[in-house]
Amino acid sequence: MATATVTPPREAAERSVRRARQIGEVLLAVENISLRFGGVRALSNVSFDIRRGEIRAIIGPNGAGKSSMLNVINGFYQPQEGRIIWKGRALSRMRPYDAAKGGIARTFQNIALFKGMSTLDNIMTGRILKMRASFFEQALWIGRGKSEELRERAFVERILDFLEITHIRHVPVGKLPYGLQKRVELARALAMEPELLLLDEPMAGMNLEEKEDMCRFILDVNEEFGTTVALIEHDMSVVMDISDRVVVLDYGRLLADGTPEEVRNDPAVIEAYLGVSHG
Amino acid sequence: MAELGPVLEVFLGGLMSGVLYALVALGFVLIFKASGVFNFAQGAMVLFAALSLVRLSEWLPFGVAVLLTIAIMIALAWAVERLVLRPLVGQHGLILFMATIGVTFFLDGFGQTIWGSNVYQLDLGIPASPWFLFENLFPGGILVSPIDVFAAVIAGTLVVALSIFFHSTKIGRALRAVADDHQAAQSVGIPLNQIWLIVWSTAGIVALVAGMAWGTKLGVQFSLSLIALKALPVLILGGLTSIPGAIIGGLIIGAGEKLAEFYIGPLIGGGIEYWFAYVLALAVLLVRPQGLFGEKIIERV
Repeated sequence: MATATVTPPREAAERSVRRARQIGEVLLAVENISLRFGGVRALSNVSFDIRRGEIRAIIGPNGAGKSSMLNVINGFYQPQEGRIIWKGRALSRMRPYDAAKGGIARTFQNIALFKGMSTLDNIMTGRILKMRASFFEQALWIGRGKSEELRERAFVERILDFLEITHIRHVPVGKLPYGLQKRVELARALAMEPELLLLDEPMAGMNLEEKEDMCRFILDVNEEFGTTVALIEHDMSVVMDISDRVVVLDYGRLLADGTPEEVRNDPAVIEAYLGVSHG
Repeated sequence: MAELGPVLEVFLGGLMSGVLYALVALGFVLIFKASGVFNFAQGAMVLFAALSLVRLSEWLPFGVAVLLTIAIMIALAWAVERLVLRPLVGQHGLILFMATIGVTFFLDGFGQTIWGSNVYQLDLGIPASPWFLFENLFPGGILVSPIDVFAAVIAGTLVVALSIFFHSTKIGRALRAVADDHQAAQSVGIPLNQIWLIVWSTAGIVALVAGMAWGTKLGVQFSLSLIALKALPVLILGGLTSIPGAIIGGLIIGAGEKLAEFYIGPLIGGGIEYWFAYVLALAVLLVRPQGLFGEKIIERV
C-alpha cells in the first residue's frame, strides 16, 4: 500500500491475506436506492454490498448522502425506490426496530447518548433486546429479573473493559469529554452484539491520540468478534488504512466502489475531491 | 405556645392539598420525562377519568367501575399515540404541545357529551367528618380531613412504585432512554410506540387517582380540568423531569400558600392563596430555571 499511512508494506500484505480469509458472503446489499426529501434528491439509484467480516468505508464530500445511506440501512429513512437485502432476505422496508433486532447497531455523527444516564445504564440499553424477564420479575427483583440483570451487567462489564472505560462506569455521560462520549456510544452499539456495525464519523472532532485509539478499537472489534463494520469517515489516511473496500458517494450518486487502491486512483474520485468544491 | 395548634393545622392542611397538586403534576412529569412532550391535556384526563368512574359506578360495582375506567384510560392512551403522536414523530416540541391542547379541548367536550356535565358526587366510602388529632395537646385538637390523608397515602405509594418502575426495570431504563433521545433509543431496538403507550397509560392511571382524590373533595365537575393550572407552579418548582420533585414541589406550594394566607393574609386583606403559588414559581424561574430537582440542560453551542 503506497499510501501516506504507517502500515509497513509486508505487514500490509500479510494483513490482506488474512483479510481475504475472514471476509465472507454478502451480508447486506442495497439495490437501486433512491431517497427524496420533497424535491431534494438525497440518494439516486445507489447500489452496493457489504460482505460479512469486512470493514467497508463510505466516503464522499459533505452532502453526498453518506449519513442518509446509513439512515436507510437502519430504517430511519424509507427510500422511495430500491430495496435492501439483509442476510439474503429482500425487504421492501426496514424499520429501526427490525434493524436492531436483526443485528444492526449504529453510532451517530452528532453523539446521541442518553445524557442523563450513567455510562453503565447507557450501555445497558444496548442489552434491552436480550432481556426477557417480565415486568414484575424486574420490579420485584425476583427470578429472571435478578439473574438476567446480573448476567447482562457482567456482559456490559466486559465491554467496559474492552474499550478501557471501566473508570467512568458510574459517571453521567453528559459530564464526559467528547472523545469518551464517542467511545461510550461505540460501547452501547457493541452491547447489542451486532452483526453489522454502522459508524457515522466515529473519529470526527477527535485529536490524533483519540483517533488512534478509536481506530484500534474498530480493528479489534472486527478481528476479535468478526463484526462487520460500515463506517463513514472523512480522514482519508484512516479510511485507506483500515478499510477493505470503499464506496464513494457524490451528490447522492455512487461515484466509485472498490479497494482503497482502486478508489484512490479513480479519476472521477480525484476530480470530486480535488477538482471541484461542494462547499 | 397557644398559637402552635392553629399553625400546625394550617400547615398540615397545606401539605395535604399539596399532595393533591402533586398527584396532577406527577402525570405531567411522567409524560414529559418519557417522551419530551408537555402534555397540557393532563387536567382534561383527570376530569375524563373521574367522570368515567363516577358514571360507571352508578350501575356497576365500584371495583368493576375502577377496572373499566383503567381500561378506558389505556384505550385513550392508545388512541392518542395512534392518532396524535405517531403522525407527529420528530416534530418540534411546541407542535406536540399544541397537539395536546387540541386533545384537551376534545377530551373536555367528549367527556361531558357522553358522561354528562352535572356535578357528580364521588363517594369512596371515606368518612367525610374530619378527625381531630392531639386533642390533649392543643385546645380543640388539630383538624385533619380523612380524604386528604387517603390521598397522601395513595400519592406516596404511587411515587415509590413509579420510582422503582423508572429506576430498576428494563422498561424504566427504556423510558428514560426515549426521553433523552428518540433516535438513539430506536437504534438500540426500543419500540417508541410501545413506550409511548405505556407512558400515556400510566399517566392515565395517575390521572384517575388524582381524579378520585379531587372528585371526592370537590365533586366531579368541569372545574377538575382546571386544576392542571394549579399543577404548573408545582412543576416549575419541582422540575419537569423529577418524580420526587413533583411531590416535594406540591408540598412546598401547598404548605406555602396556606401559611402565607395565615400569616400575611390578614395584613393585606387575604386572597393570597390564589396567586402565591404563581409568584413562588416565578421567583424559582428567575433563580433556578430547571426547578429544584430538574436536570440542568447544558447545550453545546
